[in-house]
Amino acid sequence: MHTLEPELRTLHAEGVIDDATAARALARDRGEVFSLNPELRATLYAGVLLVMSGVGIVLARNLERIGPLAIVLAIALAAVACSVPAVRARRVGRPLTVAADYLLLLAMLLVSADLAYAERQFTLLGPLWSWHLLLLAIIHAAIAYAFASPLVLAASLAALAGWFGVGGTVGDVLLFSNSTPALGARALACAAVIAAWRYADRSARPHTPFSDVFDHFAVNLAFWGTIAWCVDWPWLAAGLPLLAALAWASVRRGLDTGREAFLVYGIVYAAIGICAAVVPRLHGMTASFSFVLVVVCAAAATLWQLRRRLREPNP
Amino acid sequence: MSRWRPSPDEERWLAVASELGAAVPRGAVAERTGGWRNTGLLARIALFVLGFIAAVLLFGVLGVGSVTNLLVAGLIAVLAAEWLTVSKRLHASGIEEGLCVAGFLLVGAWITTLSEGGPRFAGGSLDTLVLIAAAAAAGLRLLNPLVTTCAAVAFVYWAGSTETARALDQAIGGGLTGLTLGCVLAALALALGAREYRRPSHDRMLDWLVATLPVAAYAQHATWDYYAQLRFSDGAGMGRLATVVLLFALGVALLLAGVRRRRHAPLLGFMGCVVGLAVELRHATTLATETWLILYGLAALVAGVALDRYLRQPRNGLTSAPLDSREGPLDLLQTAGAAVLAQRTAPESPPSRPTVTPGGGQFGGGGASGNY
Repeated sequence: MHTLEPELRTLHAEGVIDDATAARALARDRGEVFSLNPELRATLYAGVLLVMSGVGIVLARNLERIGPLAIVLAIALAAVACSVPAVRARRVGRPLTVAADYLLLLAMLLVSADLAYAERQFTLLGPLWSWHLLLLAIIHAAIAYAFASPLVLAASLAALAGWFGVGGTVGDVLLFSNSTPALGARALACAAVIAAWRYADRSARPHTPFSDVFDHFAVNLAFWGTIAWCVDWPWLAAGLPLLAALAWASVRRGLDTGREAFLVYGIVYAAIGICAAVVPRLHGMTASFSFVLVVVCAAAATLWQLRRRLREPNP
Repeated sequence: MSRWRPSPDEERWLAVASELGAAVPRGAVAERTGGWRNTGLLARIALFVLGFIAAVLLFGVLGVGSVTNLLVAGLIAVLAAEWLTVSKRLHASGIEEGLCVAGFLLVGAWITTLSEGGPRFAGGSLDTLVLIAAAAAAGLRLLNPLVTTCAAVAFVYWAGSTETARALDQAIGGGLTGLTLGCVLAALALALGAREYRRPSHDRMLDWLVATLPVAAYAQHATWDYYAQLRFSDGAGMGRLATVVLLFALGVALLLAGVRRRRHAPLLGFMGCVVGLAVELRHATTLATETWLILYGLAALVAGVALDRYLRQPRNGLTSAPLDSREGPLDLLQTAGAAVLAQRTAPESPPSRPTVTPGGGQFGGGGASGNY
């Protein structure tokens, strides 16, 4: 164990930190107040993950034994049951607790699985099957707004990205051989839609809790799309300037808001994009390694310098 | 005051600055940190990765064909890390850590090339042990808990794979030697963690061992058990009871210590033990996979809801509410986790067919052309 109490007391005695800050920091340091929130979140996330994995297997295996309609109804019922704590919290005007938030997320994921299953079994939308992802995005967004849940909003944005055809993992997107200009265009279009949504949300509700979620999705999708454009000529001509603009905007946003993640996005994605543009055009391993080494060193130096200028957000 | 690393007092002031963030003016703490500088968690991770990649690329530039280049690249990386530490006074900044770890590993890899035929030590590969020692040395030099923990976990894996351990496993049960070693090390770290340390980094190193060793050791045991079941259908279940007892005893100790000391690491270690016990319980039953997944998931959710309800009002200082309103790495992880879960539940689309073609839609939406 270690305690920082002497240092905190020194700062307080010198008047560097005020009474409230000192009292809060000392209480945390002594363990007089201790939050189990991280453990709780991990437990709830594991619970949601396990249930959804089990439901996925049920949907795949037990179709003939139970029957598709019974499965659809049972999952819908489970989704309704999971949303009860959130509904009760909303009725009494209380913000969602972390458990209610995760149960609501589980409810929405069950709805997703149910809808996907129903669509597959009954082909409700026929050739327009992919539109059910947009439907899901809308349903999740409505629920996210109704319950002020950033977690459900993240599910909505993931469904929206899936509808745009950018539903892969980070690894898929950064695998340059799979990064086609068409994928890049779809990712950029999705990022533009999310950015527009974010600004509309911010304009309508200045104290919205969703801005961070929008920001992370929009920035990542925009960078993924831009990097996909940096691979092939003639898209490269648009990709590189766009990459520079996005990196600048991301770094600017990081410096203005004190959020380190945006500095990291700006620098690391820029380095990846430059390497994706240049390395395939170099001949020989030594030249390629040397170029990437220079880019990596420049990125590290830039990130370090910018991080020094970052204004820490208030606790 | 040391040129090579922050003194304990300087390190404590660095920890105070990280703890208080913008609540304390930078200048008020800077003069007490002896000029040592660190960075935030996300930038540190990114810089670590960049530093590590840079060192590996350096080896690539020098030429991967010659083993001597392992030594040269490793020494250059270590010297660069030392220069950043001594001249620029970087501590826990990521870049010097990535360079140092990669440098030590490259030098370690070069040492393994000196002997031919794969020498053995205690029935295990000496080459692997050299690499583990290199990682441990780098971690201790940097006072980096991630690196020391990786070295400790790798050591447990190495020890569990030696011929000595295999022989012991034949007597006491499959994979138990590695698991026992992991649990003993975790218990030792837990006991040492009760002492008070001047350096926060020493405390963090022990915390990381406590949090990760139980689950890492159990993962090795479970993997061994899986293969043992495939190969020896009657011998794999012998150590199950011992495994359960070991995990249960360690789990109880971790839970009690976590609640008493008000520390996250023992509680995370306890959760690792619970995961191990849950998997062992699953092996003891004949439930279908989907049934136990759903049952365990529901159990986790019920436990979470109950704890959340119980601690909604702080009890004896314990609360389920977050103490910090700042957006931290956990929030970012949570958003990403929700998105990953949402993607997993989405239907499987034909892989070659995008779900929407820009400009190809008919009725509006992201892919619409505007032609109705």
